[in-house]
Amino acid sequence: MEQRQSAVHSLIELLETIADNKYVLGDRLVEVGVSGPNLEATLASIAMAQGELGHARLLYNWCFDLRGLKGKKPEIYGQTGKALESAVNVHNWITLIAALYATNTAIDAVLQSALDANHPAIVSRIQKLIREQQDHLVYAKHWAQQLAHERGAVPHRFREALNAAANEAAAWLKEVESKEELQQEGYLPNGVKLVERLQQELKTVAAEPFVQLK
Amino acid sequence: MTAAQRRKTFDIFARVKRGDQLAHIGTVEAENEELAKVYATYTYDEEDWAEMVVVDRSELVWVRKPKWLFA
Repeated sequence: MEQRQSAVHSLIELLETIADNKYVLGDRLVEVGVSGPNLEATLASIAMAQGELGHARLLYNWCFDLRGLKGKKPEIYGQTGKALESAVNVHNWITLIAALYATNTAIDAVLQSALDANHPAIVSRIQKLIREQQDHLVYAKHWAQQLAHERGAVPHRFREALNAAANEAAAWLKEVESKEELQQEGYLPNGVKLVERLQQELKTVAAEPFVQLK
Repeated sequence: MTAAQRRKTFDIFARVKRGDQLAHIGTVEAENEELAKVYATYTYDEEDWAEMVVVDRSELVWVRKPKWLFA
């Protein structure tokens, strides 16, 4: 019983971390994305912001349910403080794409692994979210590839931003991997390799090892 | 060549319901097909399209092509 409660507690923490990141990214996609490099990228950025904020609300409400909260759900006025620093500190297009790509790839690694674990209480809640998130990942990945192959100082600055964001995301994934109760309760598969999943995906940005995880 | 210089025009065709006409609904400019698909999805989201395709304009095969009036 105690182990089950500990697993639910860890699950709430995991979901809130994902929700916080999506909440912050949704905010930055509007703040920074509105002055994107071209009209199409800007329009997509604003539309994706709505998607990220919608996902955040869904996950926060799920956390309220897990805590046993009945009745009307409270309004959400801010993140709970678990968002990654690289997402919070987004201030221009380069840092936005780096944070969006690294964070959403890490989140996707967690959610896809949860889908593999096939826990009935989880699968029905995340299937639609994962599907909707794929367009965000395609957008972030292609913009990451463009910035990595741009001219002038952009590739260097982007490499720095992506390295910082990816390392922070990897540290978070490592922490999630180490929570055995999530695997014992069947929320994640046994021996889940989240960091490896992130590394594999990041390799596709450039042929050379563009990102070095510590 | 930078990515911005590689931007191409993609025409977008969509069908609201099965059996409807496939209509030209607009264009997007994008660096590649994958981004064109994402841009089309988010830019033309006023309908729940049954079908939507993006076509690189340079890949269109013309049967009749008018001379543009002010070209």
